This record gives sequence, structure tokens and C-alpha cells, in this order.
Amino acid sequence: MMKIRKKDNSAYSKPDQKRRLELSYKNQKRVWAAIFLAPWVIGFVTLFLVPLIQSFLYSFYQLTPQVGQITQTFIGFDNYVYAFNTHVTQTSSFKVELLNTTGDSLINLPVLLIFSLFIAVLLNMKFRGRAAIRAIFFIPVILNSAAVATALGGGEAIAAILEQSGIDKIFDLEFYLMQTGMTPILVTFIVGLITRIYDILALAGVPILLFLASIQSVPKHLYEAAKIEGATSYEMFWLITLPNVSPHIVTVTVYALVDTFLTSPVSGIISDELNRQQWGLSSAMAWIYVGTILVMLGSLAVLAKGLKIGGSHYEN
Amino acid sequence: MKINIYDRVRASVQGYIEKVTEPRVMHRRNRKIKEISGAVLRYVFLIGLCFVILFPTIQQILMALRAPQDVNNPAVVWIPENWSILNIELSMMVLDYWDALLNTFKLSFVAMILQLASTALAGYAFSRLRFKGSNILFILVILTIVIPPQALSLAQYLYFRDLKLIGKEGAIYLMSGLGMGIRSGIFIYIFRQFFRGLPKELEESAMIDGASVFRTFWNVMLPNARGAMVTVGLFAFVWQWNDAYFVKIFEVSTASFPLLTMRLINAAENVYAALFYAGALNLVGQDIWENPLFLALISNVSALLMMLPLLFMYLFVQKGFVESIERTGIVG
Repeated sequence: MMKIRKKDNSAYSKPDQKRRLELSYKNQKRVWAAIFLAPWVIGFVTLFLVPLIQSFLYSFYQLTPQVGQITQTFIGFDNYVYAFNTHVTQTSSFKVELLNTTGDSLINLPVLLIFSLFIAVLLNMKFRGRAAIRAIFFIPVILNSAAVATALGGGEAIAAILEQSGIDKIFDLEFYLMQTGMTPILVTFIVGLITRIYDILALAGVPILLFLASIQSVPKHLYEAAKIEGATSYEMFWLITLPNVSPHIVTVTVYALVDTFLTSPVSGIISDELNRQQWGLSSAMAWIYVGTILVMLGSLAVLAKGLKIGGSHYEN
Repeated sequence: MKINIYDRVRASVQGYIEKVTEPRVMHRRNRKIKEISGAVLRYVFLIGLCFVILFPTIQQILMALRAPQDVNNPAVVWIPENWSILNIELSMMVLDYWDALLNTFKLSFVAMILQLASTALAGYAFSRLRFKGSNILFILVILTIVIPPQALSLAQYLYFRDLKLIGKEGAIYLMSGLGMGIRSGIFIYIFRQFFRGLPKELEESAMIDGASVFRTFWNVMLPNARGAMVTVGLFAFVWQWNDAYFVKIFEVSTASFPLLTMRLINAAENVYAALFYAGALNLVGQDIWENPLFLALISNVSALLMMLPLLFMYLFVQKGFVESIERTGIVG
């Protein structure tokens, strides 16, 4: 500390030394950058990069556990072929689940994005009890756990108990909607959406948080200027909020996509194969999964570039 | 006279109508109606969603407080007829509750601290101590977010086996401390976004005052990053608490070091066996433990017991957390 302060004083008295100080500060920064990043880099190389390369190699081998070691036999693309063509579980198969998850996530992503942006805008408004409502909205994020889901069995047990008591539903929405004369397809869609609303809320927790943070980062003076010009809140949303939030749409999309896949049955199948010591197969499956996500992200990135989403609207 | 009064009344009524229908007043009134109806809609919508969120939890708590013999008593719908904490006691025995709770808390807390340290440092370096190639390194951070843990588990397992860390909590700590813990990539991302948003003047004035880079980070930037710290800390804690994957792969949960998630999963897979081994069957009659609904109820109550401490802690940090969102607002 003392040393630096001395340097600083001299810099004030002799302006020509200032440049040297800046340079040394820059160097100092480099050194500290290396120190700050050291844990991450070590972790990345040992716990990520090496395992990643290894798992890529494993996916081409048949691995069988022996006492104290693992024997490897090279089998080329057989694991990949097996995962796609012959793999079945008791109720499903890898291919079916992969296709389902991909399809579902493509349908869910826009719903999730619009829903969470909408909720974030609502939660950002000023109203009484906002803090309490916000606190409640993040509860699903906290309770979203695989272990709890297993124990609840998707809430079937509770549902069964309630059904015996004669109130499996608070009111029969499907019945009422049918009464109004809606087409059955629309009714099933709405009912499906409503029964899944808890799942959507659970998935939307983090996206809402990210959107909320980004909405609050929008410079306040833009809104003030708009208000003076007599803009309605509707116009302000489309012309100020949305363009400013759009860079974060990319972040949220990446998060939501990865999260959907991570909590999907596909991920479960890979874990199961891993636990059954089908290491080569599970590696191959994991790589198919990674490939799918990367292809989806890539196409979304192309789409975003085409639609000019994600670039900063105002040059900050 | 009569006509006069009539005229006057008519004139005043007309005047009133003119006044009311005057564009400015109409406009103001319309806006007020719009505002009120908007507020009502918003409340209905938000409170409805809050209900959807809270409903299952409330239902479960009420279920848990039923006496076991009332499990399928059709007369009991919401409020238990015979209040009892027997279900909770049985579930606690199944979960080895207090030990498991303490261990889970310790594991989550230490992992949280380590995650905070490693990801905050990395996030700061990526945002404020930029150097050639730091963008490329950051793409690698994104890669760690995208790659599923299953792709890495086997190699990591073998690695930890060589280090003799299998079956020990150290495996989790090592992962967290090296920035490869549960979703560390996202945390680094959050920190980078946050530090990038802090005004440059903060750093410059610290530099002019003669603070070293580390001092700037520790005394100036970090206190300003409380919002991000709270957010990341909460997520790191909760995700570690709920984690069943890494804990299972690295066999962290053992008889001497039970963890809530693993105990819960084991219990849920076979409630009867879990009750039997916990010696809890004697506490209820045969007619009760033969009832599958009772077994399901125990599994549910166990899940509730795992969530409740988190909910309870959330109530305390909730204020800081919600405020932190406000402060994360500086994010650029």
C-alpha cells in the first residue's frame, strides 16, 4: 500500500511520470487477471476439458468394468447407431424422447419467453404488495428439485387421496369450457396450458429474474422523455422496453433451452445408462444431446441475426 | 315564476352535461377508469398465479398434519379432523432428519461460499481485467453451460477416484472451488454482466487514490456488487441443496454422512422398506401401513420436510433477494 501511495504522489508532482504509472497499472491488471482466473482455468482444464475429450473418446469404445480397471474395445460409431436405432427403455426410447424434447422445447421456448417477459413487466410496475408477490414468484425456483419431484411422483399420490375425498379438481374447467361451445381442440389446448402452468412457472423463475434485472437497467430518462412527449405505456413498452431488453432475450433463450434439456427425460435416460455402467453408450448419448443443443442454438443464433434481435438497440 | 325555475334547472343541467362531456374531463375520467381497471386486472392475474404457486404447498402441509388413520377419510377435505404430527415424526425417522439436515446445510453452505469466491473472481476478470483472448475464454464459459454434466461424469469420477475423493464431500468442494460446480458458468455470466454495469468512474477514482487492483476489487467493486452476490449465493445454495446428481455420482451421501436429497430419493423408491429399516412400522398399526395411500403420504411429507427449511430460510433472505434484483438493475 505504502509503496503505491508514494508512487502516486510522485505522479502528481511530475506529470511525465504519470504515463509510466498507467502502464504499470495496466500490467498490474494483467497479473491480477491471471490470478483471478487461475482457479477457473485450472478447473476448466482438469475438470472440464480433459473429461470432455475423454468422454468423446469413450463414445467410440465399448467399456466394460473389470476388477480395479476398465477394459476398452474400439467399436467405432456402434454406440451412436445403437442409441438411435435399438435403444429402448421400459416405456420409451432414447430417440423418441430426444425428438419429443426437441419438439417440446421449440414450442415451449416462445411461450416461456413471452410469459416471463410479461410477468417481469408486471412485477416491475409499482403497486401495493409488490415485494410479497415477487417473493412468492421465486418460490418455484427454490422448490424445483428432482428429488422432491420423485418423492411427489408428480403429485399423483396427493391427487389420488383427494380423488377419494371427492375433490380432485377445484372446478372442472374442461366441463365448463365445453359447455360454452368451444371446439374440443381449443379446449384441450387451454386446459393443457393451465394444467402445465405450475411447470411453466417453475421454468420461468430464472428467466423472469433475468428479464426483471434487464428491464431495470433501461435508462430511466428514456421513459421520462417519452412521458413528456405523451407516449402511452403501451408505446413505451414496444419502443423502449422491448428494444432494450432484446439483448437479454438471447441469454434467456440459451438458459431456457439448456434448462429444458437438463430436466428432460433424455437427461434421465443418459443418467440411467451411466448408472448401469453403459459408459460408452451414455457418452455417445450425451454427445448426441450436445449436438442437438448446439444445432438448435446455432439455428436460433442465425435466426436472431436475421431478425436483428440481440444487437444493442442504443449504442451504450 | 314557474317557467323561470324550469328554465334555470334546464340551464344548470345542460351546463352540467356540457361540463361533463367537455373533452378534457372525459379524457381524465377515461384515463382514470383505464388505470383502475388495469390495476384490478393486474391484481387478479398476479394473485391467481400466486395462488397456483402456493396452493400445492398449503395442501401438502394440511395433508401432513392429518392423523394417519384419516388418510382416506372422505369426510376430511381440507382441515384435518384429528390433528397429528405422527406423519412428520415418521418421515423424520425415515430421512434421519436432523443429521441429514445438518449435513446438507453444511455441504450447501461451504459449496456456496466456494462458488461465490471462484465465480466472482472469474466474472470480475472477464468484465474488468480484460486482456487479449479474454473473449475467447469467455466463449469457453458458455460452453461449460451448454455441455450436460452427464458427458463429464465418468471421467470426473475416475479422476476423483485417483484423488481418493469418492464418497467424500471434498469432491463437491473441489468442483465448486474451481468454478466447475453446479451451473457455475451461469454464475460467472451473472457476475460478468453485473461488474460490466458498474460505472467506470468507480474504478478510476480508486486507481487515482492509489488502490491496487485487488483493493479496488475487494473494497470498491465487491461491496457495490451485493445484489449479484445475493442472487448468486441464493441460487448456489438452493441448487446444491436440491442436487441429487453430483451427490449420487460421487457417492457423497453415506450412512455416516446422510444427505437429504439422497435419503429422500431412497425413501421415495420404497417407502415401506424405508419405514421398516427406520423401525417406524411399530408406531402405527398394520391396517395403516398396509394402506398404499399412507405410504404415499409419508413420501410426500418427506419431500415437504426437505423443502420447508429452504422456504423458511427464503423468508429471511427474501427481502435482500428481491431488493437485490432492484440493484442488479445497473446491469448493462
